[in-house]
Amino acid sequence: MEYVNPEGLRQDGRRPKELRQLGCELGVLAKAAGSATFEMGNTKVLAAVYGPHEASNRSAAASGATVHCDYAMAPFSTGERRKQGRTDRRSTEISAVIRNTLEQTIITELLPNSQIDIHVQVLQADGGTRCACINAALLALAEAGIPLRDMVAACAAGYLDETALLDLNYIEDSGGGPDISVALHPQFDRVVLLQMDNRLPLETFETVVELAIKGCKAVASYMRGQLLEHTRMLASARGFDKL
Amino acid sequence: MDPKGEVGGSLEADAFRKLYPHQFYANFLAKHTRPDGRALMQARPVSVTPNAVSSADSSATAKLGDSAAIAGVKLEVAVPAEESPDEGHLAVAVEMAPMSSPDVRPGRPGEAAQCLAEQVSSILASSDVIPRQQLCIEQGRACWVVYLDIIVLNADGSLLDACLLAAWAALRSLRLPSVILTADGNVEPCDDLPQTSSAAAPEGVWAGRMLQLESQPVAQSCAMMGGKLISDCTAEEERLADTIIIIIVDGRGNLLGLIKAGGTAEAGDMIMQQCIEAAKLRQQDLCRLLEDQLSAATLS
Repeated sequence: MEYVNPEGLRQDGRRPKELRQLGCELGVLAKAAGSATFEMGNTKVLAAVYGPHEASNRSAAASGATVHCDYAMAPFSTGERRKQGRTDRRSTEISAVIRNTLEQTIITELLPNSQIDIHVQVLQADGGTRCACINAALLALAEAGIPLRDMVAACAAGYLDETALLDLNYIEDSGGGPDISVALHPQFDRVVLLQMDNRLPLETFETVVELAIKGCKAVASYMRGQLLEHTRMLASARGFDKL
Repeated sequence: MDPKGEVGGSLEADAFRKLYPHQFYANFLAKHTRPDGRALMQARPVSVTPNAVSSADSSATAKLGDSAAIAGVKLEVAVPAEESPDEGHLAVAVEMAPMSSPDVRPGRPGEAAQCLAEQVSSILASSDVIPRQQLCIEQGRACWVVYLDIIVLNADGSLLDACLLAAWAALRSLRLPSVILTADGNVEPCDDLPQTSSAAAPEGVWAGRMLQLESQPVAQSCAMMGGKLISDCTAEEERLADTIIIIIVDGRGNLLGLIKAGGTAEAGDMIMQQCIEAAKLRQQDLCRLLEDQLSAATLS
């Protein structure tokens, strides 16, 4: 299968270093402390944050908030209907990855004896759900007003047909090449998550990671813009912009 | 608004609401209104969006006030059961997403989710909303299995109403695709035939078609609270209600279901009549809303 055609275009018409169309919406669920949807092309996820509230395990949370994360895929989110949703190993692994990434981002020591619950639900899956979930969860945390060290933005990159490709979709993801997921604190320029599967020569590894980091920065600036926009909207709704 | 009509800050009102919820509601109900400003039999704003998820064969989101549910349909081909060789299957599952409410814990579906699944499934099955013969591809050999998965994204009362609305909208926009029955008994997808030549379908081709629903089921939740009847309850109202009555009607004057499970209040003939009338009106409103949405979607 040809992933990059001779004109240098990918199957969905993107250039190798092009992100898919990003989209997000903040404050979609009324009851949650914070909630957001995040779209990367056809991948669409929903995240909700509850808390901080009193920790169910006080001794573990004595020095700082514990973060709970729960990842679920809708049965109709993939090409074939998924029979198992919540208890399989893949979901558990992704929940752990999201939790680890966000634990580094939340200033947990400001919230001792408390617990923050993050729920992510994949509504539509087309590759890069892990990254989309981290982005959605970050937006939900920001909307919930939870103290954060920095933004965190995640993006994946891969290597197919001797070309480094940004933000793989499902077809490219299952193309047998490597898939590198990166999450970044953009202000500190610090990589929080780096995950790769499959084989890749060491010299190409660096170019692909570089590309993923660039993708993260682009995602971060998009999310920052959306958060500012959302805050401005809230401010004008409450009449603070006239002060 | 202060429930006692006294001058007081919103903090007092909030505390009063938490400490004496029944009294808080009674003060509103006495004035024929509710804390969110609705009249007693007034429903919350409804919205329904068909085709919300493109990975599903058909899907819809439904919102009733803050309650929100998304339904998605996935189709599979199976061999029909021996006792009904000319019928397909419908499998309904409801999941309460852990984000839907602080009370829901991740893990095995709770009682509420299982009850909702059973109720939606029995409404769709028992009254033959979907004639199963439509799901037959070839008698005894192949039929469609319709997996209807509903996820409650936000739980704020009247969940059966929201789930059934999402399910109805998803099924209403479901198109069964064209398939070819090969000689060795396999079923393979094929391109849709051009509409003009549909009369002369080639051998072994099962032409794609829209699923035709026999009726348009709509559920309407009502509750008795302090001797007054209110409709479309929020989660708080459901907790405080003396009893909950759910009426399910189709668009042709039939009652498809009635759920009145326990509670401390009786619901006499008058009350039931009122609920059924409300459900009928609701059914007409929602029908109009959904048809508008569907025609808007096909135009754009």
